[in-house]
Amino acid sequence: MPPTTVTVAPGLSSFLKSLKNTPVDSSIEHFIALLKRRQIRNSRPCAIATTQLLLRVVAEFKFRDVDKLLRRVREVGQRLIAAQPREMVVGNIVRRVLGLIREVAEDDAEVDTNAISDIGNSPVPLQSEFPRPTLASSMSTFSPLRYGSTSMDSSLHQSESMSDQGELPHRPPLLTSHTSYSVPNAPMVTSLFGLFSHPDSPSASSTPTGYNSPNGKGTLTAQNLERLSESTSSKANIKAEVQEGIKELMDELEQSDDLIAANALDHIHSNEIILTHSASTSVQKFLLAAAKKRKFTVVHAEAHPNDHHATHAMTLTGTKRDYDDDSDAEDRWKPLTAAGITVVMIPDSHVFAIMSRVNKVILATHTVLANGGLVAAAGARVIAKAAKVHQTPVVVVSGVYKLSPVYPFDIEELIEYGDAGNVVPYEDGDFVDKVDVDNPLYDYVPADLVDLYITNLGGHAPSYLYRIVADHYRVEDINL
Amino acid sequence: MDTQSSSATAKTPTGTVPNEPKPPSQQAQGENQKLSGAELKKRAKAEKAARRAQQQAAGGKDIKSPKESKQAPKDRDSKPASKESKQGPKDSEKSKPMPVRRRQSLSIASTKEPKGEVKQYAKQAFGLFGHLSGVPRNHSLVGVSKEVHPAVLALGLQYSSYVICGSTARCVSMLLAFKSVIESYTTPSGTALARNLVSHVLSPNIEFLKSCRAISISQGNAIRWLKDLIVKIDPSVSESEAKSHLLNSIDNFILQRITAADELISLNASQKIQAGDVILTYASSSIVQTTLIKAHKAGTPFRVVVVDSKPLYEGKRLAKTLAKHGLQVSYGLISSASHAIKDATKVFLGASAMLSNGRLYSRVGTAIIAMLADERNIPVIVLCESVKFTERVALDSIVGNEVAPSEELLSEAERDVLVPLKPLNRDPSSDIAADKSDARTWWMGEPLQMLNLMYDVTPSDYIKLVITENGSLPSSSVPVVHRISTNI
Repeated sequence: MPPTTVTVAPGLSSFLKSLKNTPVDSSIEHFIALLKRRQIRNSRPCAIATTQLLLRVVAEFKFRDVDKLLRRVREVGQRLIAAQPREMVVGNIVRRVLGLIREVAEDDAEVDTNAISDIGNSPVPLQSEFPRPTLASSMSTFSPLRYGSTSMDSSLHQSESMSDQGELPHRPPLLTSHTSYSVPNAPMVTSLFGLFSHPDSPSASSTPTGYNSPNGKGTLTAQNLERLSESTSSKANIKAEVQEGIKELMDELEQSDDLIAANALDHIHSNEIILTHSASTSVQKFLLAAAKKRKFTVVHAEAHPNDHHATHAMTLTGTKRDYDDDSDAEDRWKPLTAAGITVVMIPDSHVFAIMSRVNKVILATHTVLANGGLVAAAGARVIAKAAKVHQTPVVVVSGVYKLSPVYPFDIEELIEYGDAGNVVPYEDGDFVDKVDVDNPLYDYVPADLVDLYITNLGGHAPSYLYRIVADHYRVEDINL
Repeated sequence: MDTQSSSATAKTPTGTVPNEPKPPSQQAQGENQKLSGAELKKRAKAEKAARRAQQQAAGGKDIKSPKESKQAPKDRDSKPASKESKQGPKDSEKSKPMPVRRRQSLSIASTKEPKGEVKQYAKQAFGLFGHLSGVPRNHSLVGVSKEVHPAVLALGLQYSSYVICGSTARCVSMLLAFKSVIESYTTPSGTALARNLVSHVLSPNIEFLKSCRAISISQGNAIRWLKDLIVKIDPSVSESEAKSHLLNSIDNFILQRITAADELISLNASQKIQAGDVILTYASSSIVQTTLIKAHKAGTPFRVVVVDSKPLYEGKRLAKTLAKHGLQVSYGLISSASHAIKDATKVFLGASAMLSNGRLYSRVGTAIIAMLADERNIPVIVLCESVKFTERVALDSIVGNEVAPSEELLSEAERDVLVPLKPLNRDPSSDIAADKSDARTWWMGEPLQMLNLMYDVTPSDYIKLVITENGSLPSSSVPVVHRISTNI
């Protein structure tokens, strides 16, 4: 089991340390090796490592050509994904960085060419999203878009950036870093406006356009790139803006748990019995936030045989033991028991027996998929199903960065199988010789077993997740 | 509660304990001078609550103090660490009263324990299962009534250590032990066997077995049958005749109700296995094992998936035995159940009991397997002798269940780390004082508990078929069969 990585063994923290003074290419190789050896695993460490690495990749990028930058990031991303396809956060982060670059480039292009660009664009609609170029143009015309260069709002989603323009003057500057996950209502105003001003566009706050896609229509790309190469001053900004955006992405990773935890009091009531599963910092923080105000009982299924050590450590100390924490001071939480919460540890087999008394199930997740299903530690599916049978609500707690645009056409390929030695030790040679031992690490939980997702954006029905996917990823980037 | 009443004996052994942990608490108090008056008030309140438990307060204090001392410095730690320094002290103040309040109840619950193992029981008595964890398991021969037969003594220890495990095995072994009890029995002068045997000999033996591990339904049925048999013996019959009658009857009972029943059931069930089937089973059931082996010997090509769970890992033995017989076996734990079920075409389950409302009472986790099978429309077939039928009913697994000691959930290595576990019948007061590692105090003091149930109840609509020696029935026929089999 890789989690046995002690402080000496390579892991996230050693990688992040080495990142600063190693050349990018060897850092990439390093990360790929770590991914392959499962020395960096689980969503959060992977997400952090990927973001940091891409930040370096962008920083080291020497050319001024946006297209080349996109190609470079994509190429790095492909290699990372190939190294460990089941850590889907890696792909998510790469896609978001790509989307970020596109966005910055588009904004930049629009600043330079202003309204001319949309005249150039609108006649070249990409099939399936023909109304969107016009929508984008509406935005560029009624906004100076200067915010882009100030980088306050190199926000990740165009729909949000529309809202930003509308209320930029009113917003306190502190909030800007949260733009991508606050003001849920505000976009409505501007997007409705957009709807009225362009009655033929069916969906106002839709997926950002792809008219600047490098693999879009040839003439268009050439046009844009030509314009970009003309304006040298803005090009210098692009890199800085992208870096700024990646840093914001890092902030999002950091803050997502706290933002999720802010919802805790809406969902956990006094004297409830909450069932949770395996070790997750998100869930831990969520419960701790609720524990500040309320008293409840947590029933913790231990996720034997793969995560039970981490689970035990979590309930004992509040942190996963093998979680190589780079930020020591911040990661030291109290265990739930210190907050006065009764924690009852149960083996996974007790789930059905105890479910009739459980008020709510809170699940952590490995990846959330676009159809509302999720991949979580093995045993989650049983819990979700038992909860369904008992009509107990299932709440899944997950950062948006875990939300993947992947559709689970083949569920089996999402499931990783782990070391059979965790189930039956290899010393038991007699047994291991004759019996096939299975040890799946993950379960796929279909969307209909989940009642609610809580992300850093708030609560969503599983059926709504596709929309958040559309907000966060560019259509062009979905297939890397 | 009965827990409190038992506490009267607690005084003497714990006498040494409170002396040890007290100093740290006083130290902590000294360190925490700067803590507010509210904190002191709370402490006083807690102490009052503890005093209310009179002498037993000694035990309660011992639990409380290491925790308080632990918590106070931790709060101070967290203040500089937390980003919002303003919130830090507020949190600690807010969270303080809760543990204190909790500890009141905890201290009352835990005061009574003179022995370490009893302490564990109090811990797992969290709200829902408080009613189940009354009697601690007996692991020793200390203080056993002299009426208990050596064979029964040995058997009891085998029960409590799971050497003999499984409803059928426990029932048969118990009857065999009772046979030797009856063999070595001589009626005292002036009484009749029918009157003396049950009350003076059999009952203490049964009580001892109960103290080792709660009795299963099949055992209960067998005991009821045996008592009935003894009482009905004609007093005019000579002792040796009566004894041989009893011994023969017990042999017959085992033969008819268990051995022959098993044979019939496994024969019927093995015919349900068709070529190419993938049979999934959970944990270990002797009758499922014989069924599968029988089907294999009959030449049917099929595959077996054994799903297992901690802490008993019964399925391991089953998988090993099946593999030894040449079956193709794969093995996984309950967390992988949703994957294992995908291949399965039939699910065979053993039973600890069939309840009168058609529900299956079996090893904890069985309900999960049945649920997953039902979801995929895979037939769930329960193999169960009619001795295991009972008139009891249950809607869920919480009202009636057997709670096993929670430390069994920890693996050996974990036990070493978390609970430096001594031989279970040690003198606890001395070694608690001896090694006061952090983990130990956690284990004793924190409101963290582990729950180790033995059984769960599977809803009857998950069960497609119950195969008994009386035929293959739907689960709704259980009460009828039970009536018929008890009226004979």
